[in-house]
Amino acid sequence: MIPVFLWLLATIDSAFIGYREAAGRNALIDKRAYYRRALIRGALVGQVAVVIVGVIAAIILVNSNNPSALFSKIESVGARMLTVYVPYAVILLITFLIRTFPSVDIRSITSTVIFGPFTLIRPIVVLAGAVWGVLAAPGAITIALTVLIVCLMLGLGGILSWLRSRGLIS
Amino acid sequence: MSLATITRHGPEISDAIVSFDPVTLQRKPVKKADVLIQFRQLRNHEAVRIVEQMPEQDGFLDPAAVDKILITSHCEMQRMSEEFQHGKRVAELLKPILNALRDGGVKNPIRIVDIGCGTGFVIRWLAASGSLGDDVQLMGVDFNVALLNEAQRLATIENLRCKFEVANAFRLDEPATVFISTGILHHFRDESLSYLLQQHCRAETCAFVHFDFHSSPMAPLGSWLFHAVRMREPLARHDGVLSAVRAHKSRYLLEVTRRAAPEFVSAIYGTRLWRMPIPRVFHSLVGIRPKYRDAFIRNMGTRVASLGKIE
Repeated sequence: MIPVFLWLLATIDSAFIGYREAAGRNALIDKRAYYRRALIRGALVGQVAVVIVGVIAAIILVNSNNPSALFSKIESVGARMLTVYVPYAVILLITFLIRTFPSVDIRSITSTVIFGPFTLIRPIVVLAGAVWGVLAAPGAITIALTVLIVCLMLGLGGILSWLRSRGLIS
Repeated sequence: MSLATITRHGPEISDAIVSFDPVTLQRKPVKKADVLIQFRQLRNHEAVRIVEQMPEQDGFLDPAAVDKILITSHCEMQRMSEEFQHGKRVAELLKPILNALRDGGVKNPIRIVDIGCGTGFVIRWLAASGSLGDDVQLMGVDFNVALLNEAQRLATIENLRCKFEVANAFRLDEPATVFISTGILHHFRDESLSYLLQQHCRAETCAFVHFDFHSSPMAPLGSWLFHAVRMREPLARHDGVLSAVRAHKSRYLLEVTRRAAPEFVSAIYGTRLWRMPIPRVFHSLVGIRPKYRDAFIRNMGTRVASLGKIE
């Protein structure tokens, strides 16, 4: 279940990266279709990142002398990462639920108290989860895989912006 | 802009890099060196860095490049306005005012003019929502042609019933019934703020609502945080934080307004939330002719709790 949870979180996170990358670039009033495309695009690019990590992890496991022991180590790292990422995600999801309340004041407060600060601390949360995870099973392979995951999590927005600057997305 | 380098003095970059003749509204060339000297004297090194990057032609800032930066900045600011539900917030305050004017027999159409509308987010949002009624005309005015062209382009794409004009808001052929603005009051200091508010005292004008950053001890930090995470354009980041720092205190705004526009009763709306001292991003200066005061307060319903003493 741990890889599934990690995949789910990665998908949601990358969808929101897509949203953030697109935000502030379109001044129309009705942007529902624009943001829908951005969320889907982010989630799809996130799947590419997931596949990269999955393929590399699979190659390492196949070439390992003791694949089941290595898989357990990787899984324990993932489990520890979830203890950091799940609370962060749950707070955001609850805030989204609160934001559905039709009050400009409540919606503004969700931004000032949660969405803004949580966007600011996201890189710290990503790093904290990674460090906390690696501490469960320190080793060259787990560290290398975790560094790859962190780079992809933090670099996805930049990749999308680069694609936009090349005119590949709009 | 980092929190440590915030300066309370001096203009925002967007004020310094454009200049208009107040009578002809013609754009005047701006010498890049003059702007740099101005910010160097103010020790605003971040502004110096940002202006240094701007293209120039024969020593003058390239107007097309400046306009491109301003349009991008306005687009990013609109994102923040959307996040903070600014269109809806404006509509929620305008509705009780408009109903008070209707009850008081103000002749149709009611003309709402957004002063310094930029790319016209508020006017376009109000037009798209259709929430103010068919007897309302929506108009945005600004000195900057490029911003207004962008506003008109966006309105045309979405087929919105509103218009934009390069004009002095107080010298329109068809005068405003209600003046509104967002984020312009802090650009005016002392005498010029007083002069701006004096301009509301004309027979046709029944009310005004000016939204601006709410000055509070937390405002600079909050503004920095949001501009750091939401803005990409360096000018937008810089000016956004400086705007919050330079925001007028509520009491000062009221004092100036009551002195400059004594024909209106005025109050600050939204300084407090739910009768509690929770700081807000925006508050607004509301002015209305005394004969509409009671109807306005009645129409506010429970929102009256966020309205200061109107006198």
